[in-house]
Amino acid sequence: MTALSALNTIHKTGLFGNCQNKEKSELTTVSEVKDIQIIQIVHYSKSTVKISSINLDNLKFPEEAMHVSSNNKTRIFWNGPNNWIVVSNNKEILSNIKKKCDDKNFAVTDLSHSRTVIELKGNNVKEILKKGCPINFSEFKLNNCANSIFHGITITIDMINNNPETFRIFALRSFGESLYHSITDACLEDGYKGI
Amino acid sequence: MLEIKCPYCGKRSQNEFSYGGDAKIKRPELGKEISDKEWDNFVYYRDNPKGKHSELWHHISGCRQWFKVSRDTASHEIFKTAKLDEDL
Repeated sequence: MTALSALNTIHKTGLFGNCQNKEKSELTTVSEVKDIQIIQIVHYSKSTVKISSINLDNLKFPEEAMHVSSNNKTRIFWNGPNNWIVVSNNKEILSNIKKKCDDKNFAVTDLSHSRTVIELKGNNVKEILKKGCPINFSEFKLNNCANSIFHGITITIDMINNNPETFRIFALRSFGESLYHSITDACLEDGYKGI
Repeated sequence: MLEIKCPYCGKRSQNEFSYGGDAKIKRPELGKEISDKEWDNFVYYRDNPKGKHSELWHHISGCRQWFKVSRDTASHEIFKTAKLDEDL
């Protein structure tokens, strides 16, 4: 069976909005991120396992709000108290997690097919996100993440690069089309390139 | 718009939160015989004070945690927020 991405028939490539007289390199790029593993891990409150003793792909679970632990393949977001989201290109990540996080102490849920992921890259991305999201982006830095809303849609934001600013926006798959239209509407003012 | 300090995430916009009612209401003890009047009071009747009020809020579009808020119902000033197992 072939897996269809959430924005399979929605995402369009090309130049859109106010692109005239602008270098292509100046434009914000909008793309869909596909084929990644998204796993939620919840540490049971009565568990005696210390979370600091667990290493996943040589990464510790962040214990501070809004923090992300990352390497080339895997990113671990703080998603709430005793709650993390693992995003990875490593196809083996789910089995690695299940080896380290046993089901007596952790709830591990594969969310890979239940999320839409949109990546925005450019030097104006924070301004675009400010149009629909109330987070204080002036204090939002590389390897920060946050759950918030974009025009009423619950999202998770992850900043993966700061030069150029690169953000990944995660939303429930069924909200993907609506989120995509909200974000691309916000991009039109400065023009964007769908890739 | 209010800015509410979630005890877990820090200051966030009110848009991310959902109001959860009076924080001082306690459910009657399990198994305890109580009158219809007491059930009625627990389920339906609430104080509606003007001034300082203890409330429950839910960071529904954030960390999804419940917490307590002490807020002035007239000026909307928020005095303090606390985790559920902490005192306001």
